[in-house]
Amino acid sequence: MTSVLRLCDVSVDYATPAGPRRVVDRVNLGLDPGGTLGLAGESGCGKTTLALAVLRLLPRTARVRGRVLLNEQDVSQLTWGGLRAVRWAGASVVFQGAMHALNPVRTVFDQIAEPVRVHSVERPAVSALRERVRELLERVELPPERARAYPHELSGGQRQRVMIAMALACEPSLVIADEPTTALDVVVQAQVMDVLRRAVRERGAALLMISHDLSVLAGTCHRLAVMYRGAVVEQGETARLVTAPEHRHTRELAAAFPTVGDAGSRHVDGSAGSEGRGNALLSARGVGVTFVDRSRTRTRAVRNVDLEVCADETVALVGQSGSGKTTLARTLLGLCRPDTGRVRYRGVEPGSSSGSLREFRRQVQLVAQDPTGALNPRHTVYEAVAEGLRIHRDVVGEAERVRAALEAAELRPAADFVGRFPHELSGGQRQRVVIAGALVLEPAVLVADEPVASLDATVRGEILELLLGLRRRRGLSVLVITHDLGLAWSIADRVAVMRAGELVEQGPVERVLTEPEHEYTRALLAAVPSLPRVVD
Amino acid sequence: MTDTLEHGRPHRSGTVPRTLGFVARKLGGAAVSLALVAVLGFFLFRVLPGDPARTMTRSAPVSAEQLAQLRHRFGLDQPLYVQFRDFLVNLARGDLGTSYTYNRPVTELIGERLGPTVLLVGTATVLAVLLGLWLGTRAAWRHGTATDRWFTSVGLTLWSVPTFWLGLLLLMAFGVGVGPLPGLFPVAGMSSPDVPPGVLPRVLDVGHHMVLPCVTLVAVIHAQFMMVMRSSLLEEMGAEYLTTARAKGLRDDAVRRGHAVPNALLPTVTLVFLHLGTVVAGAITVETVFSWPGLGLLTYEALRVPDLPLLQGTFVVLASSVIVMNTLAELLYRVLDPRVRA
Amino acid sequence: MTTGGPSADVRARRPSTLAEGWRAYRNERGGVFGLAVLVLVVLLALSAPLLTDPAGLDVTRVEDAPLQPPGAGHWLGTDESGRSVLLLTWWGARVSLLVGSCAAALSMVIGTLVGVTAAHFGGWTDTVLLRLTDFFLVLPALVLAIALSTVLSRGVFTIVLAIGVTSWPQTARLVRAQTLTVQTRPYVERARALGGGHRHVLGRHVLPAVLPLVFATTTLTVASAIIAESTLSFLGLGDPSRTSWGAMLKSAMDTGAVTAGAWWYLLPPGLGIAVVVLAFTLCGRALETVLNPRLRGEGR
Repeated sequence: MTSVLRLCDVSVDYATPAGPRRVVDRVNLGLDPGGTLGLAGESGCGKTTLALAVLRLLPRTARVRGRVLLNEQDVSQLTWGGLRAVRWAGASVVFQGAMHALNPVRTVFDQIAEPVRVHSVERPAVSALRERVRELLERVELPPERARAYPHELSGGQRQRVMIAMALACEPSLVIADEPTTALDVVVQAQVMDVLRRAVRERGAALLMISHDLSVLAGTCHRLAVMYRGAVVEQGETARLVTAPEHRHTRELAAAFPTVGDAGSRHVDGSAGSEGRGNALLSARGVGVTFVDRSRTRTRAVRNVDLEVCADETVALVGQSGSGKTTLARTLLGLCRPDTGRVRYRGVEPGSSSGSLREFRRQVQLVAQDPTGALNPRHTVYEAVAEGLRIHRDVVGEAERVRAALEAAELRPAADFVGRFPHELSGGQRQRVVIAGALVLEPAVLVADEPVASLDATVRGEILELLLGLRRRRGLSVLVITHDLGLAWSIADRVAVMRAGELVEQGPVERVLTEPEHEYTRALLAAVPSLPRVVD
Repeated sequence: MTDTLEHGRPHRSGTVPRTLGFVARKLGGAAVSLALVAVLGFFLFRVLPGDPARTMTRSAPVSAEQLAQLRHRFGLDQPLYVQFRDFLVNLARGDLGTSYTYNRPVTELIGERLGPTVLLVGTATVLAVLLGLWLGTRAAWRHGTATDRWFTSVGLTLWSVPTFWLGLLLLMAFGVGVGPLPGLFPVAGMSSPDVPPGVLPRVLDVGHHMVLPCVTLVAVIHAQFMMVMRSSLLEEMGAEYLTTARAKGLRDDAVRRGHAVPNALLPTVTLVFLHLGTVVAGAITVETVFSWPGLGLLTYEALRVPDLPLLQGTFVVLASSVIVMNTLAELLYRVLDPRVRA
Repeated sequence: MTTGGPSADVRARRPSTLAEGWRAYRNERGGVFGLAVLVLVVLLALSAPLLTDPAGLDVTRVEDAPLQPPGAGHWLGTDESGRSVLLLTWWGARVSLLVGSCAAALSMVIGTLVGVTAAHFGGWTDTVLLRLTDFFLVLPALVLAIALSTVLSRGVFTIVLAIGVTSWPQTARLVRAQTLTVQTRPYVERARALGGGHRHVLGRHVLPAVLPLVFATTTLTVASAIIAESTLSFLGLGDPSRTSWGAMLKSAMDTGAVTAGAWWYLLPPGLGIAVVVLAFTLCGRALETVLNPRLRGEGR
């Protein structure tokens, strides 16, 4: 049986001033016609480079070794003309982030029809093209009048559907999907994956799918390959790989996405927190926030929200992006003024007097989503951590307190880190510095906005462990804002589900996530890709 | 089944009111700017000099009676707010006052000189834009090659040259002639006195006169258009949709023409219009060098005296026309760019 | 990840970013060339009073023949009053550089103040300042500068003022955009969440991030300010008591040097302007490339 794609000992090196840097290291992979292969790995492991190498789309500084056989044709031996003929007709790509992969000033029709036109021997009639585009849009479940739209008029999910329609335009024997749903919400992600799976299967095309999320791949692909630092460390049947992973890295990838409802991935003893709740530390009563954008359109980002964070508990605020959860967090932090309702800290409204705001700022601290951005690149770790103390003119014993905060955030020995700049640290270390910067003021509440979303799978666990440890040791209350129900399941006592600015349901994690009352919570749970439990 | 939990931007609905709102906002902005020009014109020429009559007679000795007479003639003996009111009322009627040197209405003088300037600046701008965009596209597409370096160096050098100096050099080399080289083009004015009658000979004569000033303007101003187009296209060249286009199997030139250039062109168009002010500046000196009977030369004649009413008139007219052109460009841009249109 | 390894001596390493910037700058061939030219021109301009006799600039004290072509006596010939063109050009550099730098500095101060204020305080302040900036951006700067220098008394200060108050809008736009970008960075949000006020955010985070780019733009503004200075002098609006390159070109035109074919009178001042402006432009572009990582990684 001939294969659609065969990679034999493929290596890719990038020329850098410091000499060649190996990004892909002797990879061997094969894909049969109509087969599905998932390629998993952390960011920077070389999976996208490998995908681009299939169609020779890498920049000139890249050097590819080994053989890439597409339909038994060696891609590196093709002439430019031959290569152009193979591109899209032989293998097409669904790129990551359709916002940027679609041309912003051309219509959907233009962009889908373009490859059909390019790969036709004779110039096809406009009516034939129109018919073809209509058919393709139907296949990805988009109304045909969307052909007239420009990319910015579409939602993220719709854009990704357009990308899929475009990829199918020339009926290729292979579709490469590079993180096709990464920027999308769980529910939309599930819908788009469904469309992709079905469209590819109907046409008998093979699918090579790339993702950092093993659970997304497991739901679609029959075979999986795990990449780590440029090399494929493990590959095999999906069922075997997720139930009995052999390589340490595969296990780490699988553990990074905890399964809702599985007792093994729940790290808190929920009974204590949910029943015997203390007084509310931070509370929102009837909070509403409205934005007015430039075209005077009013957007009600948060409506009538009641939420409490009590002493010694972890609350998870979950919702899709755009649901208003970050706005709510900013309002709770006093960075954004509510139009209606009140935010109180220990029963006092911050900002009612200048002293209360100052005190509030010490007690409620933020841990932002992206630790790389949250640290000023010009400041050392010491300056970043001491910033809070200096703002509050509380500089007695500064050096000692900074050291203690760093050690509390498990950056030991602190002396090794104080003099470094953010670019000299890893992502996980940066997030620890941000946490230390919050801890130095000895707050009572930590508001963590997607604290691990930008971190690699292997580091996530460590940071979550740190947050859990802080709560155990210091009784610190944490409000975690996340789109990831698995994360809520693994560390929170209570969960609040937000949709379009409103809280639709809140309660103890065990109840809300296993017996949801609201249909939206059910929809969210159903959309979460799940992985058969990994045997440790 | 469509996306149940997300919605695209409202499709086409509400586009018309939003466009109307946009047009109204732009026109309102332009009106504010024009009002500011009027205020600035008054402030600059009536308030700032303290005594405009003395400023105007700086170069000549005058008696106290003459000064008083002059003040009365220009209404300078009135309180400032009365002067401002009269200025606004007259401006609304299209009356910009009377020239001190020519003893004729400023509006009339400006009207006479408008045509030649529009002809010269218009032709030069169109040529410079076309040349600049073409060179910029080629330079960006061959980024890092000898072509790019050559285009960029020539462009930067021309941009660094004062317009009037280039004009003087061209005037000397091709107007007057250097050494054995005879003068090929007229040195001053826009027409010769001894032209045979008929439309064609006169058009050719004006064209002949226009070559040197036009070349000077184009040489200097095309450079900035080129640099803008180049950097704008370079920015687009890293864009991911170009990888998509290449992956589709398009030829390189189709990728460039069909995808990169249309995207790069739009920001360039705005910048081109923002640079209209520099074109006007160039026109003033070039008209001075080549004695081209336009608004620029009129400005130069006015500032030598200085003839404040005339200078005020040219200031208001030049500034307003640039503002009007810019507003038109912004409205046009709205039509061209789908991203802004929706 | 750890490039430098742990080291406690921060003070010793902070300049290393400066040294790194210099290393990146050295890769910009145009920038290095421009810088070398500038150093040379500035040294020459400063040394003019030491190496030459200013008496040669005084029309009443020279006795050489007017409009003499270059020769043994005068390497670059003489002007319409018999003064050495070389001497005039040498001294002219002083005015051009002085006016250019002062006007650019003035425009930098105005532009930075307006830009930072607009972006940081937002709301009505932003609307009004942005409207004003756009107005001055569109307004033909030279026309306004001509008006200002006509009504004010002639002098170097007037020229600096006229150019300074007409050339700030670009800087203001850039600073505003850059400030807005910096303010969306999570570290500013973090500083505010820690309790930092306007002064803390501006002083510790915004200004240090914005100023390098302001510096690069100012270098470019010097270039356009020198052109503006020469243009105003050429139109007869300069300081009549000082020799500048623009004023030389004006007298060349007024006294018929052009029609007489006196190229030696025309070339040196013009080349002087072109070389200095080009040098500043090259330096500014190189600085921008070094400071703006987006431009640094341009093209594939």
